[in-house]
Amino acid sequence: MAKKWGQRVRNWMAQKMDLPQDVMMDLPRITMIGQIHIYIENHRGLITFTDKELRLLLKQGQLQIRGKSFVIKTILPEEILLEGKIDQVIYINENPGGTK
Amino acid sequence: MKNQWIEFISGKVTVKVSGKGVERFINVLIRNGLIVWNVKRHGTETITFTMRLKDALKIRHYARERECSISFLKRAGMPFLFKRLLKNSGFVGGALLFLLIIMFLSNVIWGIEIKGAKPATEYQIGKELDKMGVKIGKLQLFVDNVEGIQRKLTNNVGNLTWVGVELKGTTYHLQVVEKKDPEKPEQLAPRNLVAKKKAIIASMYIETGQKIVDINDHVEQGQLLVSGVIGKEGQTQQVAAIGEVWGETWYKSHVELPLETNFFVFNGQEKQKHSLIIGNLEIPIWGFGEPEFKEYETEKNIKKINFLKWELPISIGNETLRAREETTRTYSEEEAEKNALELAKNKIKSGLDEEAIIKDEKILHKELKDGKVILDIHFKIIENIAVGQPIPKETPE
Repeated sequence: MAKKWGQRVRNWMAQKMDLPQDVMMDLPRITMIGQIHIYIENHRGLITFTDKELRLLLKQGQLQIRGKSFVIKTILPEEILLEGKIDQVIYINENPGGTK
Repeated sequence: MKNQWIEFISGKVTVKVSGKGVERFINVLIRNGLIVWNVKRHGTETITFTMRLKDALKIRHYARERECSISFLKRAGMPFLFKRLLKNSGFVGGALLFLLIIMFLSNVIWGIEIKGAKPATEYQIGKELDKMGVKIGKLQLFVDNVEGIQRKLTNNVGNLTWVGVELKGTTYHLQVVEKKDPEKPEQLAPRNLVAKKKAIIASMYIETGQKIVDINDHVEQGQLLVSGVIGKEGQTQQVAAIGEVWGETWYKSHVELPLETNFFVFNGQEKQKHSLIIGNLEIPIWGFGEPEFKEYETEKNIKKINFLKWELPISIGNETLRAREETTRTYSEEEAEKNALELAKNKIKSGLDEEAIIKDEKILHKELKDGKVILDIHFKIIENIAVGQPIPKETPE
């Protein structure tokens, strides 16, 4: 409950104080260049990496990227630059509506 | 994206990791600050990536914790190039040696060309050059510079009027002008001999021509001495008058000589300094510190180092510091007078022909003022006063 409260306060602050949401709420910031590059900030680590799929852990849930011939150009603790042919970017919410 | 070239300099390694949970392995790596790029998957259990060489050494430690096997595929970058270079050090050494040899050979005298000299003179010049150390096969560095060679040659080889020494690459080109043999008597145009200046005739020696004046005659400047018109009246003929007319002339000279003079003399002490000059930077090689003498003059010689036909920006400098001492020369009055007289004589002589003789000198006025001896001297000089003057073409009457 406390976490939810915190979240709500942050949400409120972000809205009222006109602050960028990604900074306030630890959301991923995704930049795509056409289909060939995708740049994701604020991730929490790799889960799966194959040449057709990349799965990243986020603060909440996961991010799945599907495509072809993936290569991770750069990977840093919170940033990742993926190259390849990107078809889909999917948010996966673990146990939606669950206890966590 | 990181700068690929910086990575190249510090060295990079491509690593192959296989095992279960390679993704987690990468997570561990990046959380520990190891930078990883170009991650690719090969098959189900294998990925490859590139990382820094210094990070690659730590990777085993993390790999041991997980169940991953690691192999290094490709090594690139300067450290590896350098390693290979060391392995092939013979090759590098050879290349360096080659450059050194070429540099050495570029600074050797390979030829001496003497132009414009007769064989005898050429031989003489060759001998003189040998003495100076200018020989084929010698290093240019240990040889005098071009001006020095030129000066020495002109001084030491008698029958040279002028020698131009030029260093072109590794060859010395010597352009020689020899003294001409005594000229053949020229075919002179008809002329008279006239007096150069006011004089009293002392002696005469006439080859051709009609003498007009006599010994002990007083002549004015421009007066006719020997006529080029000879023959009886009516049958005259014009020739070039040749001869010498010696006359007594007078000169007045004024000299001042201080009794005390300060001047610098070298006392023979010297210090050599050598340095390597690269561009504007001068690196001393030999001869450090200040000389132990205070007053000195510096002479600097710079030798350029060649590489093939180019001059390298490297040169070898040689400085000679010569100690000098200030001395005071003090004359007594008589000495000063004697020296002043000598000075006056030399001054007079330098303005006269070589054959002129100082017959007599008389001190007209002597004064000692402000520590200076002031002399006015009158000189009697016997010199050849005859000069040629062409006879104006007269139309025969």
